[in-house]
Amino acid sequence: MRSRRPPVFLITAGVAAGLALAMMGNLGLLDAAQLRRGVLNTTEFVRGLFPPNPQPLPTLLGATLETLQIAYVGTVLGVAGALPLALLATRTVFGPGVTGPVRLLLAGVRTVPALLWAVVFVVAFGLGPAAGAMGIAAYTLGYLGKLLYEVFEGVDGEVVDAVRSVGCNRAQLTRFALLPEAANGILSQLLFVFEYNVRASSIMGFVGAGGIGFHLLGYLQLLQYRNLFTALLLTLGVVIAIDYLSGRVRRMVLPPAPAA
Amino acid sequence: MSQAALSAFPEPAPAPAVETVGLSCWYVPGRPVLRDIDLAVAPGSICMILGPSGSGKSTLLKVIKGLLPLNAGTLSLFGQPVAGRTHARSRRALERSVAWIPQHLGLVRSLTVLDNVLSGTLARVGTLASLVGAFPHTLRDEALATLDSLGIRAKADEKVFSLSGGERQRVAIARALMQHPTLVLADEFVSQLDPLTTREMLDIVQGIARTGVAFLITSHEVELVAEYGDRVVFIRDGRKIHEGAANAFTFASVMTLMGR
Ligand SMILES: Nc1ncnc2c1ncn2[C@@H]1O[C@H](COP(=O)(O)OP(=O)(O)OP(=O)(O)O)[C@@H](O)[C@H]1O
Ligand SMILES: [Mg+2]
Repeated sequence: MRSRRPPVFLITAGVAAGLALAMMGNLGLLDAAQLRRGVLNTTEFVRGLFPPNPQPLPTLLGATLETLQIAYVGTVLGVAGALPLALLATRTVFGPGVTGPVRLLLAGVRTVPALLWAVVFVVAFGLGPAAGAMGIAAYTLGYLGKLLYEVFEGVDGEVVDAVRSVGCNRAQLTRFALLPEAANGILSQLLFVFEYNVRASSIMGFVGAGGIGFHLLGYLQLLQYRNLFTALLLTLGVVIAIDYLSGRVRRMVLPPAPAA
Repeated sequence: MSQAALSAFPEPAPAPAVETVGLSCWYVPGRPVLRDIDLAVAPGSICMILGPSGSGKSTLLKVIKGLLPLNAGTLSLFGQPVAGRTHARSRRALERSVAWIPQHLGLVRSLTVLDNVLSGTLARVGTLASLVGAFPHTLRDEALATLDSLGIRAKADEKVFSLSGGERQRVAIARALMQHPTLVLADEFVSQLDPLTTREMLDIVQGIARTGVAFLITSHEVELVAEYGDRVVFIRDGRKIHEGAANAFTFASVMTLMGR
């Protein structure tokens, strides 16, 4: 006879749902009056967006360009730091005495969100896109560093051992085994992080770190919803365009399916 | 020591390329994968290692190459003890002299055949030159000549992923030879090849062995053992249960060893 196990799944799901309900109460999401107000306000807000106002478009295009530059420069600087650190964090190449501290450093950098890094750099560099680019760079370093050491450690151990066992040093091992074997993985993560950074750059302006975010926040605070809508549409268009382009690059360069 | 005493031993027997005494190894403590293996392979000879799947053949080669630590016993290469921390220096000094061809060859798929073969020379070229791909012309010529002798010079500029199994096997041999090894550890060397190519490859191996290079080859192909090997070692459940001249070895010997 089959033994009857306690319905662990049901109990877990029940507890999770109960917790969520209790917290929703705390957050005011179960308050009927507040919910009704929310719906009404949203409808009014959405109605206020139409029609988008084309007048600030020239200014916004300039800001969008700045956003893209923040994302690009931040990504490039971040990658330049992340690649060597990721190698130092790869356990198949370095011992725990090196990988441990480097991983700790990457994890530390990663705990601070990009926007907070931007605040730090605004304090250091003053208001403007330089702080935004540095904020993106810092976050990219921590985040991409982790993604890349995972890519490096995913390289077939037999290949790494085979090349290492000819008697080469770590730099040669990197050049002749790790980088070529991991190239597709690296490129894939780079594109992913760049897409992410374009989104992150568009809100850098919230803390005075440049780009279109400055205008997004300004229109919101001044209740200029029609201008806001133009800025939102522009941002959305750019994000979609970048995703599309990076998808094209992906398909062009990377194999369509994992090779058998 | 007098002149007369010296001439009594005109030619001391050369040290074995590999010698193990009581070699044991385990991945999980208490569950040894290799137990008490005594082995000696003379320079310039071909030793075939036979044994059922999971008997520990690949593990033995990895221990000899230093990719896995040996947990008990001794291991000497060319008369020098190399196991353990105290002998790490002699192990490193001999790294280049011992070539390892892993079960799945360990080639870098996205590099060209020539680059894979040249990576066998990494221990004898300058780091900087190798990193920028500037191998000396003499090495390039040697690599091409080696590919030529293996019949795949025409493929030198092709990426490894586009090669057939037999062609890859030759690339792996070429890379090993570029190390100028005096001991080659080849795991399941011919398992992927058709009978004709298998013979071709083993003829090549015999030719190289005649120049003084010792081979330790794991195999499943009983007929080839007698034809191409000098000695045969049979391993079962991590123990050496037979060692003898290869020419007397037949399928019937295997049946006896397996207790069938
Ligand atoms: N990394 C590992 N961790 C734990 N056990 C392992 C590991 N690698 C191999 N083993 C075990 O060690 C034993 C010997 O494995 P090994 O690969 O040396 O066998 P083999 O003789 O080469 O087999 P085959 O002919 O199938 O290649 C097997 O029981 C295997 O399960
Ligand atoms: Mg094996």
